Order: sequence, then structure tokens, then C-alpha cells
Amino acid sequence: MQIKVNGRKIKCDPKKTLLHILRERGIEIPTLCHQEGLEPQGRCRLCVVEVDGKLITTCDNYPQEGMKILTHTDKVIKSRRINAELLMPDHMAKCMIENKHHDLCKIIADLGITEVRFDPKKKYEVDLGASVIRDDNLCVNCGRCVDVCAEVQATWAIDFARRGHKEHVTPYFEHNLNDVACTKCGQCIAACPVGAISEREHLQEVYKVLKDETKHVIVQTAPSIRASLGEEFGMKPGTIVKGKMVAALRRCGFDKVFDTNLGADMTIMEEASEFLRRVKNNECLPMVTTCCPAWIKFMEHFYHDLIPHMSTCKSPHEMLGILTKTFYAKKAGINPKDITVVSVMPCTAKKFESVRPEMKSAVDYVLTTREAARLIRHFHVDFNNLKDENFDPALGISTGAGAIFGATGGVMEAALRTAYEFATGRTLRDINFEELRGMKGIKEGKIKIKGKEIRFAAANGLKNTRELMKRKDKYHFIEIMACPGGCIGGGGQPLPFSWEKIDKRIEAIYREDSHLPIRKSHDNPIVKQIYSEFLGKPLSEKAEKLLHTKYFKRSQF
Amino acid sequence: MQILRKTDQKAYAKAKKLGPKGVVKILKDKGLTGRGGASFPTGLKWEMVLKEKEKEKYIICNADEGEPGTFKDKFILVNNPELVIEGILIAAYTIKATRAYIYLRGEYEYLENKIRNVIKKVKAKTKSKANIELIVGQGAYICGDETAIIASIEGKRGQPRKKPPFPTVHGLYGKPTIINNLETFANVPLAILFDDWDSKLTLFSLSGDVTKPGVYELPVGTNLRKLVELGKPKHKVKAVYFGCFGGCMPYSNINLTNENVCGKDCMLGAHTIIVVDEKHSIVDMATNVAKFYEFESCGKCTPCREGTMRILNILENISLLEARKRDLETLQELAEVVKETSLCGLGQTATQHLLNALKFFRKEFEEKCR
Repeated sequence: MQIKVNGRKIKCDPKKTLLHILRERGIEIPTLCHQEGLEPQGRCRLCVVEVDGKLITTCDNYPQEGMKILTHTDKVIKSRRINAELLMPDHMAKCMIENKHHDLCKIIADLGITEVRFDPKKKYEVDLGASVIRDDNLCVNCGRCVDVCAEVQATWAIDFARRGHKEHVTPYFEHNLNDVACTKCGQCIAACPVGAISEREHLQEVYKVLKDETKHVIVQTAPSIRASLGEEFGMKPGTIVKGKMVAALRRCGFDKVFDTNLGADMTIMEEASEFLRRVKNNECLPMVTTCCPAWIKFMEHFYHDLIPHMSTCKSPHEMLGILTKTFYAKKAGINPKDITVVSVMPCTAKKFESVRPEMKSAVDYVLTTREAARLIRHFHVDFNNLKDENFDPALGISTGAGAIFGATGGVMEAALRTAYEFATGRTLRDINFEELRGMKGIKEGKIKIKGKEIRFAAANGLKNTRELMKRKDKYHFIEIMACPGGCIGGGGQPLPFSWEKIDKRIEAIYREDSHLPIRKSHDNPIVKQIYSEFLGKPLSEKAEKLLHTKYFKRSQF
Repeated sequence: MQILRKTDQKAYAKAKKLGPKGVVKILKDKGLTGRGGASFPTGLKWEMVLKEKEKEKYIICNADEGEPGTFKDKFILVNNPELVIEGILIAAYTIKATRAYIYLRGEYEYLENKIRNVIKKVKAKTKSKANIELIVGQGAYICGDETAIIASIEGKRGQPRKKPPFPTVHGLYGKPTIINNLETFANVPLAILFDDWDSKLTLFSLSGDVTKPGVYELPVGTNLRKLVELGKPKHKVKAVYFGCFGGCMPYSNINLTNENVCGKDCMLGAHTIIVVDEKHSIVDMATNVAKFYEFESCGKCTPCREGTMRILNILENISLLEARKRDLETLQELAEVVKETSLCGLGQTATQHLLNALKFFRKEFEEKCR
């Protein structure tokens, strides 16, 4: 199909939207409500172009033979300017200086708007959730958060209420986020183009403990942080910044930098053992992984019958947290009360997890990747020019199995590497489970362990999870990650969200795995040491007490 | 009046004899067009749905008469509701639909029981098996838009979506759907049964500064002066509004056809005429209409949600004598952008009245500005 854009002939694919086609050709079209992978809604009306004297939106229109598109006529620019200006007054009144990278602020700058003729009107109360904060005053009603919550996460925690200019995004009956069935996954944050939804910041508290001389402050970083933190400092997506990250965190004043990958190795030891026990006793299969706190909350709201199927293992950072305050504290001779554990996670749900009463969490504060970057900038650390440093060896040696926790299918792959060798006593020849890798929504495979066929599956995104749960009885072992792509696409990761970035980060993580000398959790020397000196063996009484938890039923509403 | 003629359900029997294709043909031949505002040929619409290969098809009767100054549908519902039900049943027979919906305006709730009884009566007489469900709207103007009606019946937020796909292809629950205005359905049995049925005769809702407001049945193309004189205005008439969305124009000697009215940047729409005499200020009228749109905007797209609100603010400032002349420029710009970039018919027509008022009665605005 051929169309004309600004007088130039262009061949294009009739199945792609005009927006897609124009962007491919390097013509930047401003838009707020469009997000790749979501149904176009045509809400913001900024992406208009002129066709035969009429303005049409590009996000939800497709090319027609012989179409003549003009992208920058006076009419187009005028309507873009007015529509952007209409969105601006309330946003501008509250937009913080640091957040000037919002899509809207960028569009305003590109359009050259210097004066806004209207006064701010909105007076909404800020919804202070345990991990997600919504400020409707900044909101421009683009609807991306609503669409992500419905189309990707199938949770429907938020939607529009009221009409006209009183229309705003809210949980049902204008409740607070804390009081409704929200999984805290933070995908709405990743979708928001104006920063109206953000994480509950814990930076001030962290600054305070860092200043406190009596506190021994320990930071741990999740497997996926090293693959994404660099983006905050202008590096290419998929750059591994493990060494720089450790060095920067030391510069910020943390006493020790530990690796959550070790916690992941511990999780594998416990989870693989639990799985083998369940297979042996034939109890409650399939077993479902519990590393993802958003998935756990989702399950507690919508899948009560799954509670016995859930592994009882805590998530990796909780495991490492409790080991820091017990195993490490004893070895280093520090009173656990004087230890503060800060986790840097790609996740907003982990903030909620750390305040769950039954968890009695050993992790004091959870920071997202973005907050970590803010922290590093706060201390004026020149991140890009730092020399690489290593994690503190006390709890800082990890394996490739721990590294791939950050990607969807990674937990399953790591668990299978260990479970196979635990069950058979033989070495697994090919430890790469290619069928578990990649961005597919639901992945599945099978493996023979001691003559018994074990069928496993991994899902990412809660909508895919709902699909998978319809046929869960087919499987023995299921991994769920709430965010698209797993933790790598988490709600706490650098903005803006894009599928391309997620692909790059995943690639980086698997590259990291293949380069590491130890790639199976049970070969980790520190894991061995923890068991021999402290816990005994996996699923021992002490391990059950420290590393396992329980779940509750919550209301569907 | 033609619309008050009784058919005694004989049109349904005739339609059954004609067969689906015969019904479509007779509607096309007789030239029945939609009475909701767009004047789309009814026979053609039905034919499009008839040709769709889906098994399930639906019919929706749009009785969400929300346009200010429009009351012709109520007139029909009160005086000759059998006609509407018969029309719907004929449509159901034509496209083999088993389910039809009447989307009744929330304010007409008091007619609910009456309509239910009529449905029972007409169904018994025609022995049609199609179910007609009555849905009472909750008072949103936007639910007069066909895609918003569909969303509302499906139980979603009453918000419009982009067309195409049109409801004839992708309508209620994703199935081909006939959506027609109530007056259109009422004319179907008449067109089928009576040889002397006149396709030109339509209902005008006349209101505003007239002493005899009401529904007048006149042919399309009637002179505006003739119609307004029927209403016996007390004072000299200054302007007419074609409902809210049709825009306004100075009182003049034109024949009311779609083409003529469009020539004045107005729309005849559902044949609504609101008369404004010289005792009333156009600024007040514009403020009133703007208030209506500010209240009824669904909030989905930026220009309509924010623009209608800002327009109202400026107009209120003008009424309070607090605006400056340059605010009129802002007003003009806003009105143009809301018209050009809004998602649905509501937004696209929401500022037509203002653009016309600024064109024809600019002086009245300027007098109130500093």
C-alpha cells in the first residue's frame, strides 16, 4: 500500500496504525494515551494529522490507498498546542522539578508553549497507598493505567469515575487503593506518562538511618537491578552495571552491599526441596512459586483455592534479610537490632510485602530502582565514572541461577537445575531451559526426573496467569511473575516503559548467567556454608521458621 | 397527522409476505431515511445488517431523546407507541434477530409501564417471537450516541468509541446491530402499509420564545418563517437554534432542508427548532448551551472534557462583564479545536453554536468585553 506523507510517497503495511508508520519513518508524533501493546483509545487527541483538510488521530487509524497525510500544518500544530495547553494547568501546578521528563512536559517544550492561559482547577486528595501513590491533580486522564490494569493485569483495580471534567481515575466507589483488590504491581506507574502515579517513597527514612552512626546499614540489590539501573544514568538498555552499582551504593554510605541473588539461591534450595517433597508425597500439586509479592496478593484476592498449592517460601530478599539479621549478625558479632536492611527492588509490591504483619519482615525499607538512582544522585556520586567493585563476600557470592530470577521463567529454570540434581544425584547435562526463556505470555515444558515426567509452566502478566490457572491441573510446577517479562519489567524499573527495553534487559541477564562460573544454586559456597553452619538442611525446623511464611484469604473487592 | 395513523399491526403481516428482501426494497423505494439526525437511508442500513453472516444480530431502538428542545419521540410514545413496537418487530423479522432493545431516556421513566403493556399487546397480535427489552437510561446525553448506547447496554461506561467499525458490522456484543431512532421505527410500518405515505413529512419540535410550542408535522423543506409563525412568537425573532448540537443562525427566510441548513454551518438534525427573540441575549444562550455541554461531556477525550469546561468559564466571565476582548480569540480557538479534534459527535458539534454565535452575533459578545 502506498500513501503520501508530507508530499513524499511511502510504502506501508496496511495492518499498522498511522502512528506506527510515521514513527518508523522518523516523524515524531506526540501522544500521551498511546502505549504499545494496549488497545488504542484515542483519548488525548494530540496525535492528530491532517488528511484532506480534516484532522484525524493517528493512533487508532490505519492507512488507506492514496491517503495524503500532512503532519505539521498550521491546523495540526494549533490543535496540538491547544489540547496540550488544556491538559497543562493542573499538571503544571504540581509537577515537580525532578519529574520534568514527563511525556507531557516534553511535548509542551517541543510545541514551544510558554504561556498557559488557564488556571488550575483540580483539588483531589492524594491517595497514599502502602506502595503506590496516586495524585489525581497531576493526572491527564489518558487512561493508560486503567488499560494496563485491565488488559495486561486483568485486575481491574482502577477505572474512571464521574464524567466531563470531573472524570478521574479511581478504585471503585472512590475508595483508596489500600482498601481494594489492588496487587500493588506498579504497572500503572510504568504506564503513566505524567507521573500522577508513583511509588511510596522511602528515601527520607533511608537518608536518616544512613546518618545514624549507631546503625549498621546493609543494602541488597535484586537480580534485575544490575540490568536496568544504568538506564537511569543514560546508559543503553541492557547494560550490566553490577560493579558500578556496588561502588555507588558504598559511596552513599551503606556499610555492606549484599546480593539478593544469594537470597534467590536460598529460595531455590528451599523451593526445590519443597517441590520434591510434594512430588514424593503426592501432596497439593501443582506447586506454585511465591517470589512475586504482586502475584501473592492477586492470589489472595482472586484464587483462594490455590492457597495450599502455594510454596511457603518467602521471597529472595526477605530470605536474605532474615539471614542478614540472624546468620550474618551472629558471625559479625552485631546486635540484630542495630542492623537496618534496605532492599533495592524493581518492584512496588515488595514495599507492601515488607509491611505484611505475618511476614515480620527483616527488611526495613524497600527502594525501587528509580529511588536507588535518586539516592545515588542525592549523594552526588558520579555513577558513570566509578570503578567496578564487588559485593561484600559475607553474603555476596551468587550463581547464574540467582541471576536469572529477574526474567520470566528464570525461577523455574533455576529450580529445575537444582531439583533435578537433588532428586537424581546426577549432573544435569544441559542446564539451559530454552523453552522457559523469552517474552511469551505462557511458556511450558517437561522434564524427566527419575522416570517421572514433570510438566512445568511459567506465566508473566496477571492476565496470562488467569489463562494458565484455567488449566493448572495439567502441570506439576508453575511459576508466576505479575509483571510483563518478570521483575525486569517491574513497576519500579526506570521509565518510560517499552517492550524493547525489557527484551534488552532480559538478554543481559541471560548473558550474565552464562558468564558466571557457578550456575546452580546448590553449588554456591555460601549457601553450603549457611546450611552447614546455621540451618542444617533445607526444610529443617529452623529453615521453616525463618524462611517460610503463610497466606490469607482477602476479599475480591 | 401521518404519524398518528393506526396500522392495527397489518404492516407486520404485509412484511412477512414481502420477505426480508422485500422489506428492504420497499423501504429503499419509498425513501425512508433516519430521523435521528444523520438522515442515513434506513433500507440501506437494514440491508447491510441483513447481508452480515453472523448468526446473532440485534436491534436497538434509540429512544434516548436527550437533545434539548426535542420531544418528538415522546409525542410518538405517548400517542402511538404501537407503531414503534411494530416497526421494531418488522426489523427483527427482517434480519432474523431474536432480541431487540429499546433504550429509553431516563426522564421518560414514567412511560415504562405503558410501553411494556404495548409490547405485550403488539407481540400477541403479531405472534412475533422476538424479545423486546426495555432499558431505561440513567440520564446521560452521550448515551444517545450509538456506540455509547451499545456500551451502556453491555453494562460498560456509557462512552463512545471510534467508528468504523460501524454498528452494522460490529455492534452490540460485537454482533451486527441495527440502531435506529424511534421516529424511524415508527415510520417503518407506515411506509410498508400505506401507499400514500409521504417520506417528506417529519416531526418538528418547536420551542423557545413562541407562545404555541409543540410538535408540528410538516414536510422537510418547509420555510423556517412558516414554521416559526405557527408557534406565534410574541416579539421579533432574532435567531433560531437547531437544538444544541445543530448550531444557531439568524432568523431568515430559508427552506429547512439539510443542504440549506448546512450552508449556514448548522445542522437540521432531529428537526429541533428553538426560537430566540430580541429580548434575549445570545451570550446568555451561548452560556446556557455551553453549560449543557460541560455537564454532558463524557470525559473521554481531552478537547471535549477540558475544552467545554474552559469555554464555559470564559463565557461566564463575559456574562459577568469580566472578560477582555482577547478572551474572544481564546474562545474562538478553543471552539475550533474542540470541533476539529473531538472523538465523537458530541464534541464535534458541541461548539458549533458558539462558532456561529461568534460569527453572526459577535457584536453582542464584544459589547460585554472590556
